[in-house]
Amino acid sequence: MSSLATGLKGRAELGVALLLGAVGVLVFLDANGLVTPYSQSDPVGPKTVPFIVSGLLIICAILLAINVLRGGKGEAEGGEDVDLAHPADWKTILPLAGAFILNILLIDWAGWVISGTVLFWGSVLALGSRHYIRDGLISVALALLTFYGFYLGLGIALPAGLLEGIL
Amino acid sequence: MTIVVGYVPTPEGEAALTQAIAEAKKSNETLLVINSSKGDALVDNRYAQEPDIQSIEERLADQGIQHIIKQPVRGHDAAAEVLDAADENDASLIVIGLRRRSPVGKLIMGSVSQRVLLEADCPVLAVKAE
Amino acid sequence: MDVWSSLMDGFATALTPMNLLFAVIGVLLGTAVGVLPGLGPAMTVALLLPVTAALEPTSAFIMFAGIYYGGMFGGSTTSILLNTPGESSSVVTAIEGNKMAKAGRAAQALATAAIGSFIAGTIGTALLAVFAPIVVQFAVSLGAPSYFAIMILALLAVTAVLGSSRLRGFASLALGLAIGLVGIDSVTGQRRLTFGQPLLVDGLDIVVVAVAIFAVGEALWVAAHLRRTPLHVIPVGRPWMGKKDWARSWKPWLRGTAFGFPFGALPAGGAEIPTFLSYVTEKRLSKHPEEFGKGAIEGVAGPEAANNAAAAGTLTPMLALGLPTNATAAVMLAAFTSYGIQPGPQLFSSQGPLVWALIASLFIGNFLLLLINLPLAPVWAKLLQLPRPYLYAGILFFATLGAYSVNLQAFDLVILLVLGALGFMMRRFGLPVLPLILGVILGPRIEGQLRKTLQLSAGDPAGLFSEPIAIVVYIIVGIILAWPFIYKLIRRNRPAKKPLLPANSGAADYSD
Repeated sequence: MSSLATGLKGRAELGVALLLGAVGVLVFLDANGLVTPYSQSDPVGPKTVPFIVSGLLIICAILLAINVLRGGKGEAEGGEDVDLAHPADWKTILPLAGAFILNILLIDWAGWVISGTVLFWGSVLALGSRHYIRDGLISVALALLTFYGFYLGLGIALPAGLLEGIL
Repeated sequence: MTIVVGYVPTPEGEAALTQAIAEAKKSNETLLVINSSKGDALVDNRYAQEPDIQSIEERLADQGIQHIIKQPVRGHDAAAEVLDAADENDASLIVIGLRRRSPVGKLIMGSVSQRVLLEADCPVLAVKAE
Repeated sequence: MDVWSSLMDGFATALTPMNLLFAVIGVLLGTAVGVLPGLGPAMTVALLLPVTAALEPTSAFIMFAGIYYGGMFGGSTTSILLNTPGESSSVVTAIEGNKMAKAGRAAQALATAAIGSFIAGTIGTALLAVFAPIVVQFAVSLGAPSYFAIMILALLAVTAVLGSSRLRGFASLALGLAIGLVGIDSVTGQRRLTFGQPLLVDGLDIVVVAVAIFAVGEALWVAAHLRRTPLHVIPVGRPWMGKKDWARSWKPWLRGTAFGFPFGALPAGGAEIPTFLSYVTEKRLSKHPEEFGKGAIEGVAGPEAANNAAAAGTLTPMLALGLPTNATAAVMLAAFTSYGIQPGPQLFSSQGPLVWALIASLFIGNFLLLLINLPLAPVWAKLLQLPRPYLYAGILFFATLGAYSVNLQAFDLVILLVLGALGFMMRRFGLPVLPLILGVILGPRIEGQLRKTLQLSAGDPAGLFSEPIAIVVYIIVGIILAWPFIYKLIRRNRPAKKPLLPANSGAADYSD
């Protein structure tokens, strides 16, 4: 691996330290903004624990940054279906996230049957299946099945959206 | 010129390989062995493992046949991989193994061999397992 | 009520046709997800939480119990047939199990794993039934200071002992505690970390958090690193064992059980250490040490038994104290809370019938696993040929559905995505997932105990040390925290030992 790539990887993990630190500061500021008069029945108050948590976050952030700069590295998680030999495949991840976001945008307006179909079909496509028609049929079937399953079986009415009155 | 054989570690695949070796010897051509997987499942028993490939390698070397073994995993189905290889290498012959399928099985799954037979630009030799 | 009659009542509840059906669904589902790559029992229970909200709690927990035990059963099947241990606890099984399978003894390896799991699970569950009430009796006498100390111990132990980097474990824990803070403070009614968002006032739903971290994070992570080269599954018929295999298996089963249960019952035990210990012990005691590394049946029998006994042991602190120490137990605890059931020592008195039905269903589930799954092993192996796009798209689909159905608001899906991205990042940079989940679940309860403690002592910090148990626990906490330094001191005075496991054991650091 070239030194540039390793350098970038090291820097990427500094982002984790940055995130921890940012959350720590956020927790601190939020807790600091709470106004509570001292009360005999609750000497700890709502601020103490957030202060401790923010302290822990910031300490972890600093230690992690030091660790990374000294060459420490988090061990990426392996698994049955995971091959860490090749780098993250963003061509799969981004369309996958896209399908997910599309579902969020569509669900209240177009309803679960449509948004769920889009979600499943889009995800299958992003993950590399090329049986467009078979996948589409499975997606519609899954979305319809869960819609009626939740309504009839669990009494949960998922939004019908555009198909209101048809379903 | 090249002979392309679609190999799978099954009796049909072995039969195809044996036939292809005979053909390659006869015409003294290079043998291109294709064993592909779509790679969309964790397990694919039609994808040959290292020991299998090694024994084929040895078998071909023993018989003095010029050969190339390829195991493409690119998300394409087996028919596409065999046809691609035949096109690229300007093959003189494709050898494939035929599997017995029920009519329903054919209807649902389609057939790799059917696609090769219909779409290939060169002669296709289809063999059955003994 | 004594243990025996409570347990019999539990069996009466668990054996009604409806509950038996849920037990069967549970073990089948559990085995399936154990076999399938990328899915685990913790993720499955998390995905099912919203669906089961409409069920009787008893039925839901009977199903969860089946998933819990079934997941381990399925995990050992893939370890043996594929050499891809899905969980860190089945890494050891894979060493000998896969060698056995390659030597044509897959049927015997699967059989000794299954029967050993059954025996260890049954003994472990019996020990759970005996010990949990004793722990409860002891626990109800404890006050807030002791609880606070014990919870701190559990959090620190899980964070510091498991995983490869303590620092990253603590980072994960801190993030979890921060997530747990979101929402209204129950004592003063102050809004914390809500950023003026009315939707955050009720806090982040634990279901959404668990689904995001376990399901969405995992699906995204695996999708980014799909294994390209397909593997071969070793063909297997119906598992069976010969007389000689029985003779070589029964002692390792019992020894493995003896290792597994106590480690599982400890606040930070986990299943990795006992499976490893069992392997090493069997290697030492075996009459066929030359077979180890080439497929020794003892090396499958012992660790598999230890794994299952540890799983039963883990339920002891979970049911008796409300302290989960593995991912599945954590999600099950979250399930208690989502049913409005308060976990902790009161659980046995307030929800007696439910708890005993759960324990009874563990016995039943174990038996069902043996009965149903021994003949089905070849069928389970077929599941591995499921095309991945459907598998991971399915996880995302059901994760979305589950998270949305809790409150029917699209905002939860935004949180699902954000926390899913967090889960992805944690897997990428080696932050363990379990401390985060424990932080989210235990954080608010720890804060409650802390405030109760100082309320009693009128704000005097000495109140934290007002109970002897608390002091003992703090000493243990001190030892755990100082352990790396103590270890270094010991190491300096003694030459390093050779590692006992083969270096390329295919160890996967997998936290569920």
